[in-house]
Amino acid sequence: MKSIRRIVALTHITFIEGIRDRALYGITIVALMMLATNILFTNLFGHELGKIMVDLNLSTISFAGLLLTFFVNINLMSKDIDRQTIYCVLSKPFSRGEYIVGKYLGLLSLMITAIFLLTVCSGGIAWFVKNSVADYFFRTFSWTCYAQAILYIMLMFTMLNAVVIFFSSISTSAFLTVLFSVATYIVGQSIEEVAFFFKGEAVTAGYSSKFNEFLIDSFQYVVPNFSAFDIKTMASHGKLMSMNHTIALIGYTVIYSLLLLFFASHIFKRREFN
Amino acid sequence: MFLLGYLTLPPSDPVSIYFSHISKTFTSGLFRRKHVNALDDVSLRIDEGDIFGIIGPNGAGKSTLIKLLMGFIRLDSGSITIHGKDANDPNARTQIGYLPESAYYYDHLTVLELMAFSAITSGISKNVISKRSSTLLNTMGLENAKNRKLRSYSKGMTQRAGFCFALIHAPNILILDEPMSGLDPLGRKMIVDIILDLKKQGKTILLCSHILNDVERLCDHIVIMHQGKLLETATRQDIHSKHGAHGLEEYFLQVIQGTQHEKY
Repeated sequence: MKSIRRIVALTHITFIEGIRDRALYGITIVALMMLATNILFTNLFGHELGKIMVDLNLSTISFAGLLLTFFVNINLMSKDIDRQTIYCVLSKPFSRGEYIVGKYLGLLSLMITAIFLLTVCSGGIAWFVKNSVADYFFRTFSWTCYAQAILYIMLMFTMLNAVVIFFSSISTSAFLTVLFSVATYIVGQSIEEVAFFFKGEAVTAGYSSKFNEFLIDSFQYVVPNFSAFDIKTMASHGKLMSMNHTIALIGYTVIYSLLLLFFASHIFKRREFN
Repeated sequence: MFLLGYLTLPPSDPVSIYFSHISKTFTSGLFRRKHVNALDDVSLRIDEGDIFGIIGPNGAGKSTLIKLLMGFIRLDSGSITIHGKDANDPNARTQIGYLPESAYYYDHLTVLELMAFSAITSGISKNVISKRSSTLLNTMGLENAKNRKLRSYSKGMTQRAGFCFALIHAPNILILDEPMSGLDPLGRKMIVDIILDLKKQGKTILLCSHILNDVERLCDHIVIMHQGKLLETATRQDIHSKHGAHGLEEYFLQVIQGTQHEKY
């Protein structure tokens, strides 16, 4: 119970510290401006208006989430160590594991708040445009699909923030954490395509080997598969992912994130703050 | 009573903090070839209710000693206990209030939020936090600044906010690393009065400071460190009666210069 109380207290101050950061305001304002200009862009696409609206809105929310993760959240972690504010946490009866969990939940609550705000705004914009044009243009639009896509985005950032926490626990500078996290994100987005290529065309063309296939298979398990969370195209066409797929993805997110936090806690226990 | 050297402690001994044969070496460089002996077989016992001063030149190992106590860095050898509990156990820090040497706190929090964090994580209830916050802020002269963000505070105000953070949960042990840093004479007098008041309450205080006047005025026992070793221990009375020095500064210089002459 005391442990939970401490974790909640740290989550709370991490959230407050993040929400009052001006960088967050900047990112939110940019994202809102992009959402507003989406109204102008979608008018350029004629009868695909509904699909483009959904795609652009979801892309804007993802982009804002990435900016938040790589700039605000990583800064919140690295600032703690660089400016020695971590002393005021570790001087209290916090274990290193509690610190990791508390900071992670703080970053996550910040992310969820930002995405929720952007979802409300983007939903408002979509509703406004939908009611301004003929139903034909939004014939494939579905609020359920839209909500599911948002959920998948939140799951992706749940995992990405766990990646950030993991690299923050091992690297000694914010730049390295950004570098590793961005690299992991890029690899995670493309690993499925690379694996598909190696198992398909490369084998046919004769320049793949069993060892390469084994390497790619192992890599697929180690690197987070962020492309699995990208259902913008499906959502824009009004296609709902099955409940089994959603549950499996939630399970994958939870297990992978917990593993990363576990390793981060163990690595963080060994760190010294001089 | 104050003792140096290895001891087996009787279980009823009111020892707050016990450092037993602690050593710490820092390594640096690409292949970790550079070694710096920060602490070398240091043993120290701090009894309950003592105000204990640690002084020494820069690089003597004072801050390293404190960081080992707080669990920020790991021991190479030896052990540290706080009221009989291993210092690596996070629960051992429940009764500690810590003021770091260069106090940095979260920029966007207010001093009220900082104190609430300190108190909640030490198991204090919200009703008690509210009353104590008000008293502490008045004592520290931060009542008018309680809703301002800490980033807008001056150095002295940040130091006083640090005291609020360290004292809000009424700890039995206070670790004060350069507590007078950044304070004007009025602020220093306020801190001296607070420390003396805490002593009357029976708190144990470990004080590191370069301001020898304050150490001499406040501390029951004083230890001089140099190059990772404990050189001398003395009480305030010993400095005058046994060592013939007119003050702590003279005594300190005698000890340090004596060590340097032995070396050469």
